[in-house]
Amino acid sequence: MTHQADPKRRSFIKGAISASTLALVASSGLLLPRRLLAHWPSDAFTAETVEDALLALLGEAEVANDKQIAFKLGAPPSYAVNGASVPVEIRSELANVERIAILVDKNPNPLAMSVDLTPDVALPFKSMIKVAEDSEVIAVVRADGKLYRTSRDIAVDIGGCA
Amino acid sequence: MAIKARDRIRAKLTDEQTTVRVLLAHPMHTGRGENEQGELIPAEFIQDIRCWRNGKEVLTIKCGTATARNPYFSFQLAGGASGDKIMVRWVDNLGAKGIAETTLS
Repeated sequence: MTHQADPKRRSFIKGAISASTLALVASSGLLLPRRLLAHWPSDAFTAETVEDALLALLGEAEVANDKQIAFKLGAPPSYAVNGASVPVEIRSELANVERIAILVDKNPNPLAMSVDLTPDVALPFKSMIKVAEDSEVIAVVRADGKLYRTSRDIAVDIGGCA
Repeated sequence: MAIKARDRIRAKLTDEQTTVRVLLAHPMHTGRGENEQGELIPAEFIQDIRCWRNGKEVLTIKCGTATARNPYFSFQLAGGASGDKIMVRWVDNLGAKGIAETTLS
């Protein structure tokens, strides 16, 4: 009995070790399916202030104001008759743009869209958003790990029940 | 709700760049709008749009309720050759899905 260890004890130790490793792996998020990780960030989209939305989406709200993003809003510029479809266009000279977020300050949920780009994609990026009332529209761009922010004010005649 | 209009996608090659334009047919209800009877229309909006070029994922768009009805997107892809397949898929908050595909001529 001195040389041969109790088989029950062995298996118990083995089990305990593998269980703890598994717990560690699970807590570190390695086991999460990719689908879950890539899920729609509901915290960011249901946030009610621009700061909360940015925090939830990008992990920080501190951004540098920057003129390197050209940002067109409305046609004619800064004015929209119908707030239900306001054209936006984002151009930038920045290299390695990873993400673009468009936020409308006065909307009930400011975050309108968040775009993840791969190096294959080049700007400009154009789309249409809803603007509830006269408001500031903010574009935040992440390039090379840094955040850049530009904003425009827009006047809308008919609010676009955003 | 039956959606009659079709999703459209166009791709064009100009100056070594592919311009992709996508128009999706979707009501994009925010959950705050009312119908003629004054009842709230439940939220129904596209949450996730993904674009592939020749089977490689190039772009992901996450939408909130503030994306306009019948969402329109336009973006550029670096390079491109005739015969490239561009595909867009979307999923809304109720699980409805759509797909649009085009070949670069």
